[in-house]
Amino acid sequence: MTALLLFVAMTLAPIPGGYSGPAGSQKESGQRVALVIEATSFMPASATVHVGDRVTWTNKDPFPHSVTSRDGSFDSKEIAPGASWTYRAQRKGTFAYICTLHPTMKGTLTVK
Amino acid sequence: MKVHTLTALLCFVAPVAIVTAQGVTDAQIASIVVTANQVDIDAGRLAISKSRNPDVKAFGDLMVKDHTGVNKSAVDLVTKLHVTPQDNPTSQALKAGGDMNVAHLKTLQDADFDKAYVDHEVAYHQQVLDAVDKTLIPGAKNEELKALLVKVRPAFVAHLDHAKMVQAALSGKK
Repeated sequence: MTALLLFVAMTLAPIPGGYSGPAGSQKESGQRVALVIEATSFMPASATVHVGDRVTWTNKDPFPHSVTSRDGSFDSKEIAPGASWTYRAQRKGTFAYICTLHPTMKGTLTVK
Repeated sequence: MKVHTLTALLCFVAPVAIVTAQGVTDAQIASIVVTANQVDIDAGRLAISKSRNPDVKAFGDLMVKDHTGVNKSAVDLVTKLHVTPQDNPTSQALKAGGDMNVAHLKTLQDADFDKAYVDHEVAYHQQVLDAVDKTLIPGAKNEELKALLVKVRPAFVAHLDHAKMVQAALSGKK
C-alpha cells in the first residue's frame, strides 16, 4: 500500500507556485494545459491530456474553489480567487473530480 | 413547520421581488445585490459562531466566503462604472428581513437554531434566484453588470442545492 501511495503521489505531483497558461486544451505530450474555473463550473468540464502534461486550473470566480479527485489522487485545497493550481499528470486513467466547497461542480480529466 | 415560523420566514424573504425588471435601475440593482449578499453574510457569521453542527458551520462559512467575494466584485464593478448604489424598497426590505431573521435566530439554540437557519437559507436562496432571474438580470442595463449577475448565478444555485442537502441531513437526525 505504501508503494502504491508513493507511486500515486509521484505521478500526480502538485507543482508548487502554479502556472497560468493560455486558454484551451493542448494535445501533445509534455504540454501545458490551461483549464478555467468560472461561473461555478469547470471549463471545459471534460478534458483529455497526455502523460507528462502540466494541467493548470485558474479560478476566475470571486470566491474559492478546489480541484479534488474523487479517488483521492489529487487535491488542490482552496484555490483563491484569481489564483491557479497546477499538477503534472503522469499516470494514465480517467479522474473524476469535484469542488469540495461546491459539490455540484463536477469535472473529468482523462490522462492518455 | 409551525405557522408562526412559516409566517416569519415569508416576512423575511418575500419582499425580494418588489422592484420590477422594467423599472429597476443599475444603481438600484447594485444596492439590491450588495444588500442581498450582506444579509447572507450576517446570517452565516451567526451560524459559524452559534451552531455546533459541523455541516451547518461549514455551510455558514461557505456563505460568508462566497457572498463576501461576490460583494467585492460587485463593489469593484460599480466603482469602476461610477455607479452609486441607490437604496430602494427592495434593498430596504431585504435589510429589514435579514435583521429580523438574525434577531429571530439569536433566540434559538442547538437543533432549533440549525433548522431555522438552514430552512431560511433554502427559502432565501430560492427567492434571491427568482429575483436574479426575473428582475436583476433582465433589468440590468450595463452589460458588465449583467455579465456579473450571470456569472455568479450558478453559485446561488449551488448554495440552494447545498442548503437542501444540509436540510435533508438535519431532518434525518430527528
